[in-house]
Amino acid sequence: MYDAIVIGARCAGASTALLLARRGHRVLVVDRSSFPSDVISTHFLWPHGMSYLNRWGLLEQVLAVTPAHTTVEVVNDGISLTGSVPVELLREYFRDLHGDDSGVVQSCASVRRRVLDEILVGAAARAGAEVRTGFTVRELIVEDGQVVGVRGRAVDGELVEERARIVVGADGRNSFVARALALPKYDERPRCTFAYWSYWSGFDLGPPQLHRRGRLACAVVPTNFNQNMVLVWGPSEWSREFRHDVPGNYQKALDFVSPELGDVVRTKGTREERIYGTLDQSAFLRPLHGPGWVLVGDAESAKDQCTAIGMTHAFRDAELVSVALDRWLRGDTSVDEAMTAYGDRRRSQNAAAYHDYVCTLAEMRPYRHDELQLFVALRGNQQETDRFIATHADVAPVSEFFQASNLFLLNDAAKESSADHAVFEDFAETSRSYQQNLFA
Amino acid sequence: MNHQGDDTVTIELDEREDGELIGIILKAARCGDFETMARTAAEVSEMTRNWATHIPWDDLASLEGADDELARVVVDLTEMWEPAHLRNPVDPDEEYALDKNAYDFYRPAGRNLLTRTGDFYGWVQARRRTETWQYSRVLEAAPDSVAQITNDLGRRARGINFNSQDYLSFNTHPAIREAAARAMHDYGPHSAGSPMVLGNTRISDDLEAALGDLVGLDHVTLFPTGWAAGFGAVVGLVRQSDHVLIDRLAHSCLQQGARAATRNVVRYEHLNVEAVRRHLTEIRATDTRNGILVVTDGLFSVDADWPDLVTLQRVCREHDATLLVDVAHDLGAMGPGGTGVLGMQGLLGSVDIVMGAFSKTFCSNGGFVASHSPALKQYIKMFGGSHFFSNALSPVQTAVVREATRIIRSAEGDALRARLFTAIHALRDELTGRGLTCMGEPSPIVPLLIGNEKLARTANRLLFDRGVLAFMVEFPVTPTGSSRFRLQVQAGHRPEEAREAARIIEGAIADSRAYLSSAFGSAPR
Repeated sequence: MYDAIVIGARCAGASTALLLARRGHRVLVVDRSSFPSDVISTHFLWPHGMSYLNRWGLLEQVLAVTPAHTTVEVVNDGISLTGSVPVELLREYFRDLHGDDSGVVQSCASVRRRVLDEILVGAAARAGAEVRTGFTVRELIVEDGQVVGVRGRAVDGELVEERARIVVGADGRNSFVARALALPKYDERPRCTFAYWSYWSGFDLGPPQLHRRGRLACAVVPTNFNQNMVLVWGPSEWSREFRHDVPGNYQKALDFVSPELGDVVRTKGTREERIYGTLDQSAFLRPLHGPGWVLVGDAESAKDQCTAIGMTHAFRDAELVSVALDRWLRGDTSVDEAMTAYGDRRRSQNAAAYHDYVCTLAEMRPYRHDELQLFVALRGNQQETDRFIATHADVAPVSEFFQASNLFLLNDAAKESSADHAVFEDFAETSRSYQQNLFA
Repeated sequence: MNHQGDDTVTIELDEREDGELIGIILKAARCGDFETMARTAAEVSEMTRNWATHIPWDDLASLEGADDELARVVVDLTEMWEPAHLRNPVDPDEEYALDKNAYDFYRPAGRNLLTRTGDFYGWVQARRRTETWQYSRVLEAAPDSVAQITNDLGRRARGINFNSQDYLSFNTHPAIREAAARAMHDYGPHSAGSPMVLGNTRISDDLEAALGDLVGLDHVTLFPTGWAAGFGAVVGLVRQSDHVLIDRLAHSCLQQGARAATRNVVRYEHLNVEAVRRHLTEIRATDTRNGILVVTDGLFSVDADWPDLVTLQRVCREHDATLLVDVAHDLGAMGPGGTGVLGMQGLLGSVDIVMGAFSKTFCSNGGFVASHSPALKQYIKMFGGSHFFSNALSPVQTAVVREATRIIRSAEGDALRARLFTAIHALRDELTGRGLTCMGEPSPIVPLLIGNEKLARTANRLLFDRGVLAFMVEFPVTPTGSSRFRLQVQAGHRPEEAREAARIIEGAIADSRAYLSSAFGSAPR
C-alpha cells in the first residue's frame, strides 16, 4: 500500500513523485516509456519553470548540458522587443501561488525531453520514490466509487496490482486516468495552431527569438547537443495545405515570417532529425479531483503550444498538488479541504484570464493595427516590455497589464510612432494579404 | 533517436513525418489493411508514441476483428490528424461576440476616421444579435426597486432593479419631486449660461453652503456633471511638470484628467498607502519644486472598498503632496449623518480636496469640488475648463440636490440609510451563502465577481429574461478577466427582493457555466 501512485513520470508526474517522496511519503510512479526518451513537446522553460527546478535543487544538473539565457527577443511584423521577466514579478508570483519566493532565477531554456525527463525521474528515484518504467496501466481499481489503485503490466510482462491512498493522473493530454474515469472536458477552445519543428546544427544566434508575421510564427531557440530547435506554427485551418509538402512549407513559412532566419537555416543549418509536427492542440480543462484521484499538468489543463508554457505549468501543478496532498497525508487537513485549496489556485480568475489569452493567441489571427501599435509603444519602455513578457509567460496576471488606464499610459509614454515601422505603410492591403493561405 | 552515430541520424532524416504516417494508417484502417497499419505504425516517431499513449501503436494488427476497439482508435487518430473545429463548425457570431474585448478595437487602422470605426461596429452587432450586449438599455417608466426596460434589440423586460444609482430611492420621494416642481415654476428649465456668467441662482449658493457643511469644507464649486468635476479639478490644478499619483482603479474622469494634465502619472497599487509613500519619497528625492496630486476614490465604484484616508492624508502632508478624494458613491449613502467614508474615518474638514457627484444618492446630475481655500475655488473655476465653459446645472437640478442634501442630514436620512443597509446585508448574505464571491465591504455597491467575460456575458443574457436587472461590467471598466455584476442597492429594496434576486442570479450563473461548459470558478487569484 502506497501513499500515492503517480501515473506518468514526465514533467508533472516525476516532479510530483519527487516532491511527495521528499516529504517522506511512500510513492510509486509509473510510465509506459523508458528513459531517456522524447515526447511531443516544444520543451521551453520560462523563468518560473527554471525557478521551480532551482527550488528543487535540479537546475545545476540541467544547466550543465543546456544553454540558458535571461532575455528573449519577440518580433511582431518587424517590430522587435527584447526583454526579460523581472525578478520582482517572479517573486510576487511565487509568493502569491506558493507562499514563498525562494529560489527565483531569471533565465529561460529549451531542454530536450530526453534530457529533462530523465533528470526528473532520476531525482524522484533518489528521493525515495519507486520508479517503474515500461509499465502500462490497464485499469484503475475502483471500490465504492473510490479509486484505490491500479492494475497494469510491468516491463517484464507480469500483471500486477498496486494500491494507494491517492492516484495522481500525470499522464498528459491523452490521459489514461481521465479516459478510464470518463471525465468530461470543460472550457474547450477548438481553434489552435499546427506546429512543426526540427533540430538544426551549424549556427548559434544567442537568446531565443520568437517571430510573428500575419498568421504565421516561428521560433529559433538554442537547445541541447549544440543544436537549435526551429519551430514554425500557424492556424490549424491551414494545416491541410501545409501537410502537402512538410519540408518545403516548413522552409517557406520560415522565409515568410523572417527572411533573415530563413536564410540562416537554409545556408548554414544542418537538419539533424526528421521534422516533427502536431495539430492536436485544442484547449480544454478536466475536473481536477474526485474520490481517490487528482489530475496534474496537461491531464487537467491542456492548451496550445503558442506560449510554450506547458512544462512550466506542469511544475507549478506538481508543487501545488504535493503541498496539498502532504497536508492531507500527514493528517493536518481533510482530503476535501486539501483538494479545494489546490482547485482554488488552479481555477482562479487569473488562471481563467490566461487560458483565454493563450486560446485567443492560438487562433493566429493577424495582429490588428492597435495591437501592433501597442508593440511600437512598448519599444524604449523596458519596464513595460518586461512586464508584457512576464504577462505573456503567465508570471504576471493578464488583468494587470491589459487594464485600460495602463494601456492609456503606455500610449502616452510611447517614444516611437507607427511612422518608424514598415508594416504600417499600407496596412489595409498588408492585412488583407495576410488572410491568404500561404500554402494553398 | 540517437545522437551518437551518423547512421542513425541518416535513417531518422529519411523517415517520414508523423502526420503523413497517421494519414496512411487511417486510410489503411478504412480498407481493413491491418498489415499496412502495423508496418506504418512502426515508423511513427518515439515523440508521438510517447505522447499519444492512448493509441496501441504496437498492437494495431491485433485490432482485426475487434470492431469497437478499431473504431475508437480511428476516432483518436482522426483527432490527431485533423483539427476538431474544422469538422465541427460553431456559430461564428457567438464565437466572435464572446471571444473579443472592447480593447481589441481601441486603435483602429486607416486614415478615414469615419470608416475605420467599422470593425468595432461589426463586433457590437454580433453581440447585439447574440443578446450579449449589456449597454444602452432604455427605461420604460420611472425606475424604482423594480424597473421596466427595453434592450437595444427592442425586447422588453421587467425586473428587480439593481441598475439605478439612486441609493436612497429619492427618485420617487415626494419632497424631491416637489422641490423640482417648485424650481421649475420659479426659474424655468434653463440655467441661462455658464456659472461664470449668469448660470447660478440663489439655489446654487444655498447648495454650495449645504454641501460645504456636509463635508466640513467651506469653499465649494459646482460642476455640470460629476465627470466634469473630477476632470476639471485635476486639469485645473496640475501642470506639465507636476506629478499625479493615482490609485489604479480610480474613476475614469480622474484617470483621464491626469493624462490630460501631465505625463508624470504613476498609477499605484489599489489602496496601497505604503506604495504611495514610496512613490512620494522617490519623486521628492529628485523634484522638490513641483506639485504632486494624490488621487483616490472614497468608495470605489466597482470594487466597493476604500483606502485608509487618515494615513494617506498624513503621508501626503509629509511630502508636500495634495490629496484629492472622490466621494461620488459614498457621500449621502453611508457614514454618520450621510457623511460617507470621510465621516466614517473622522476626516470631515481634514482632507485637502474633496470632489463628488450628484448622480448617485443626490438624485440628479452634476458634481462639486470642495476645499478650505477660497483661492483654490476661484482658481478651479477659472482653469477647470469644464466649469467655465459649460452651462451651469439647471435650477431644477440644483433644487433637487439641495433638497436631497437636506433629507440626507435629517432623521429621515438616517432611517433611509438603515433600510438601505438592511437590503445590502440581505443581498450579500444570500449571495455569499450560495457560494458566490461578493467583493469589498458592505456598501450600496455590491460587486459580484464573475471573472471570465464569456461567463459574465452569457449570465447577463439569461438574467434579462429572469426578472433581475443587473449591470455587468467588464473591460474597460474593470481589468480584463475580472468582469463582475455591479449590483446597486436602494433603500427601496425589500430584503426579500434582495434575496430573491440573489437566488435568480445564482441560477443564471450556474446555467451559463453549464452552457459554456466552464470549470473556472471565481477565486480571486
